[in-house]
Amino acid sequence: MTADVSLKSIQHSFGTFQALKDINLTFDAGEFVVLLGPSGCGKSTLLAILGGFLTPTSGHIKIGGQDMSRVPPKDRPTTTMFQDYALFPHMSLRKNVGFGLQMRGQSKKERNRRADEMLELVGLLDKANHKPHELSGGQRQRVALARALAVSPDVLLLDEPLGALDLKLRRQMQDELKAIQREVGTTFVHVTHDQEEAMSIADKIIVMNQGSVEDVGTAEDVYMRPKTLFSANFMGELNTLPPTQGEPATNTVNCVRPENIGQAGDVSMGQAVLENSAFFGTYHRCHFRSTGNDKTSYIANFPVGTVPQVGQEIPLFASNIITLETDT
Amino acid sequence: MRRLGWIYLIAIFTFIFLPVIVLVLFSFQDSRLPVPPFDGPTLKWYVQVINDRSMMEALRNSAFVAFTSAAIALLLGFLAAQGLSRVILPGSVLMRGLLIAPMTVSYLIIALGLLTVFNNLGIRPSLWATGVGHVVINLPLCFAILFAAMGDHQKNAERAARDLGASELQVVFLISAPMLKPALLAAYFLSVTFSWDEFIIAFLLTRFDVTLPVEIWSMLRSGLSPATNAIGSIVFLVSISLLVLLEITVFRKPKS
Repeated sequence: MTADVSLKSIQHSFGTFQALKDINLTFDAGEFVVLLGPSGCGKSTLLAILGGFLTPTSGHIKIGGQDMSRVPPKDRPTTTMFQDYALFPHMSLRKNVGFGLQMRGQSKKERNRRADEMLELVGLLDKANHKPHELSGGQRQRVALARALAVSPDVLLLDEPLGALDLKLRRQMQDELKAIQREVGTTFVHVTHDQEEAMSIADKIIVMNQGSVEDVGTAEDVYMRPKTLFSANFMGELNTLPPTQGEPATNTVNCVRPENIGQAGDVSMGQAVLENSAFFGTYHRCHFRSTGNDKTSYIANFPVGTVPQVGQEIPLFASNIITLETDT
Repeated sequence: MRRLGWIYLIAIFTFIFLPVIVLVLFSFQDSRLPVPPFDGPTLKWYVQVINDRSMMEALRNSAFVAFTSAAIALLLGFLAAQGLSRVILPGSVLMRGLLIAPMTVSYLIIALGLLTVFNNLGIRPSLWATGVGHVVINLPLCFAILFAAMGDHQKNAERAARDLGASELQVVFLISAPMLKPALLAAYFLSVTFSWDEFIIAFLLTRFDVTLPVEIWSMLRSGLSPATNAIGSIVFLVSISLLVLLEITVFRKPKS
């Protein structure tokens, strides 16, 4: 029903291109893990390796303590929910969802009972006799989820499952996914390039870039205390503070999130002029330019009602400063 | 403009169907020659054809060759398409090209080639030899139709089935074939039709048992007769029934 996963020294190459460079990760049983990164970072390759669709060039995968590195997909305790749903168009929803159990030799009665149970879980029991083409995108999504969960996998792999949905539906499906994961307790490994999606569903976020893991942690960890500059930038907007005059040059840089700049705080940033601002509902996004020698520009999120006039010069302060090593 | 459209419509259908209409009309001709003026109607030529044992024998032979060779061509074409769409092999493109190439070669050349090969192997002309010839001409057709019908959609569904525990055979029988049903039926019935109509290969590769086109040809040698029209009309009726059946069962758009 659920199992922990460990990846040890996973490397994978496509020809001369190194898609994954020495990946070492562990996921706890029942954890909702999100692999997050820009396209081409290797997150989908890693998911395919977990599902058994790719055999890693080197390294080992253990699921529930058992070595799965060379086990084909059909014999793994994993199922995948594919990006385009990959439903069987010629079968009813009940048969789609029951397919995995049919392959495991369960009786028709037993698998129909289980299929109905899963369809009820995703709220589509009344459509059990319909064919996939009669459904909307979001509904197909749910059927794909029900089908993948019907065989009670230890680990469910989700390959950008919400990519094809519009924003509102995506937010709604994120909440549903999270709720269903809580209910079934299966380990979920979810791939996405959307950091908001990652933050809204993940117990553990793994930030990837160019085939390597940049950062691992809870949403709060990777947002508030990122380990690398890439991770910090990928999780949200970031202001870079100029090096303090007179201090020796280092290979670190101080950064601050837009919401941590204000008219009061831990560290003074000097005077700055408001160049323009835009209203975002819960905050104003303000562009400031420092009046110091460096003319640095900052983006700051000010609470509604506290925004100065455009052109006004005010002192800025920063709090929750993140100190990171520069890439070079 | 609108009237011009209607005139064009009538003209094009007349052009296509006039020969068939004339054929069917003069199968009901009372006198001995299927030429104007029409002096029927009578069904005597149909009675004569149906009582003609060698003609009925040829009809059965044709049906046997057509349905069997089409089934073999379909199976081979399906396997080739399934393999080449799924796996990238060295020379995949070349293999695809070679599989489709026989479509560009004239039936006469294929027939001559097969005749030479069979002679050298000591295989006598027969319905089986003709069947082999028809597989040769229909395999490229089946392959092309099925290969074109296998898209990413199909590949993803197959991958999902494997992920859910299906063996390769289960993938083929429970997923690939049902998803390709319209293409499979289209390829099969087109192959049946092409084999049913085929003359040159059948003429060169049969001897005692002949197919219908060969029988009709030998009948024509003794001159025109409304009996030929009658058998032609029967063949036409069979083809058109198959087509209508196919149209209402397979190609009808599902209501969505």
